[in-house]
Amino acid sequence: MSEGPKVIGFICDWSVDLTPLLEGGRLRELPNVRIIRVPCSGFIRPGWLEDALARGADGVFVTGCPYGDCLNREGNYLMRDRIDQLQRRLARRRVDAARLGMLAHGLHDREAFLAEVRTFVERLRALQAPAPPRPVAEPAVVRTEGEPS
Amino acid sequence: MRNLYLAGVVLLSGLALLFALGILYGEATDRWFFGGAMIGALLLAYSFIMLLLRKMGIIGPRKAER
Amino acid sequence: MSLAANAPRPARSARGRYGRFMTALLRGTLRLDVLINKVYPADYNPLYYTGGLANLFLFILVLSGIFLFFYYEASLGGAFASVRYITEGVPYGGIVRGIHRYAADGFIVAVLLHLFRNWFTDRYLFSRDNPWISGMFLLVFGGFVGFTGYQLVWDERAEVLTGLFLGMLRGIPLVGAGLARVFLGGEGIGDSTLVRVLYLHVAPASALYVMLWWHYLRVRHPKIWPPAAWALFCLGLVFLLAGMIPATSGPAATPGADATSFPMDVFFLLPFWLLNWLPAVLVVALLTILAVVGFAIPYAGSRERPEAMEVRHAGVAQVIDGNCTGCELCYYDCPYNAIVMVPSPAPGLSRAAANRTLLAIVLESRCVECGICIGACPFEALELPRFLERDVKQLVTEAVRA
Repeated sequence: MSEGPKVIGFICDWSVDLTPLLEGGRLRELPNVRIIRVPCSGFIRPGWLEDALARGADGVFVTGCPYGDCLNREGNYLMRDRIDQLQRRLARRRVDAARLGMLAHGLHDREAFLAEVRTFVERLRALQAPAPPRPVAEPAVVRTEGEPS
Repeated sequence: MRNLYLAGVVLLSGLALLFALGILYGEATDRWFFGGAMIGALLLAYSFIMLLLRKMGIIGPRKAER
Repeated sequence: MSLAANAPRPARSARGRYGRFMTALLRGTLRLDVLINKVYPADYNPLYYTGGLANLFLFILVLSGIFLFFYYEASLGGAFASVRYITEGVPYGGIVRGIHRYAADGFIVAVLLHLFRNWFTDRYLFSRDNPWISGMFLLVFGGFVGFTGYQLVWDERAEVLTGLFLGMLRGIPLVGAGLARVFLGGEGIGDSTLVRVLYLHVAPASALYVMLWWHYLRVRHPKIWPPAAWALFCLGLVFLLAGMIPATSGPAATPGADATSFPMDVFFLLPFWLLNWLPAVLVVALLTILAVVGFAIPYAGSRERPEAMEVRHAGVAQVIDGNCTGCELCYYDCPYNAIVMVPSPAPGLSRAAANRTLLAIVLESRCVECGICIGACPFEALELPRFLERDVKQLVTEAVRA
């Protein structure tokens, strides 16, 4: 049974406080989302996001502080620009831009963060649904990854 | 919501015109303190107009933050 | 050795009772942001621009101050009359005087907001002690400039303040009497006193800009000005207040006058209010202790124990010399000007680095361990010692595998 798309989230340790929401590195409410803590949203190399997608993640997002309030002043703006550039670069390789996300949430913005992550996950689910066209002999059933035939 | 903001902008613009006339009146009658207060009120009205325009989305974030 | 970077944070990561109290202040400050961001768009939140607001008020102070300086006469006989002439005789002179007065209050409010926000949100750690120390100097000098401003008017309040200030000076052990004589320019209050007070008003105010230069030194793209809407608001507010509540002088100072009370200004004159109950020596000691505590905050005031900061304390960024190609991307991205480019002493090891002319160097005293340079580098030439690229990759692999 598929849990849904595998999502990795890099969360800046100064931004949204997820401690009550985490259970063993995953979000309790969305168990398919794994959280990795980093010192600043600007710490992430775009190459790591590409790498995460290549290793099997369906989607990957970065969360920083609200724009204007980055503890390190510019980290979230820099990361937003880097993700924009990465999305454009990956579009050439036909990787959908919806697989990458940049979020900005402050210490108390847990609800807004969860809502935005849910939207992100739903968009990913929609990306997975269309299956490649099948030969005529087989029934035209849409399959998602991991479902038993 | 947007209509409320628009109404606010219109109201403030009318007030701004009044304040500008007040500045001229203060200058004409040498009432300097009154004129100064009118300048202040005008600038305040402008700042609120800018806030409402920003909330309506007509003006966007500062260049440094786009 | 990599951190157990993503183990759940230990519950008692704050440093005892002080740490828990400071954490509560941090959370409260950011909760205020949640409320403010409901009303204003985030790029209009005034608390994100407290430094810019202070700078705006300082600019208003300088411009209005130059105007006032042109008309002011620094003598016992002429000071009060010249101030009255500015207020009543010069067109809009009273407005400019009021703007000067209210912008000074605004300056102190903005500086205090800036101080408390940056203190409660941990923005003084590591090499950010420099802006903190220069900021403390700005506060102290700014407060002193405000006090001498009240003296310049030379009304009854100014006379009482001068007497009280001399009392505080004389209360300082050893040097007190000498300082009082230097301040007075003689044995009693004379013309030279006011000349010195004028100097002590204008010179520290100019020195504020030198300290501002120091304040901005370690910071890339400092937010010097607030958003335009806030600039209009602050300017409009000081004009309106100046027009509606004109700044006025009290009765003229007379030698030997016996006034004992004056209208209080809570922004600049609080220490003199304390003199109602405490001896001068104690007030001076209290102010000194406050200043010392303020200066000590970056060194002794951290909210969390270093090991409790985990990923946020992963070590100073290190350049991997062999890989650096001198592309300058880290230099442009570092928010604290902690990376400098130097002529490369030798070619690098990798193919891309072999033809370099520049090499990146991290100035460790300026690094706050944020890791933004690591994110900027396309050539794997920067690492945080306790959170390496291979640690990140390992965490990603584990996350995907599960």
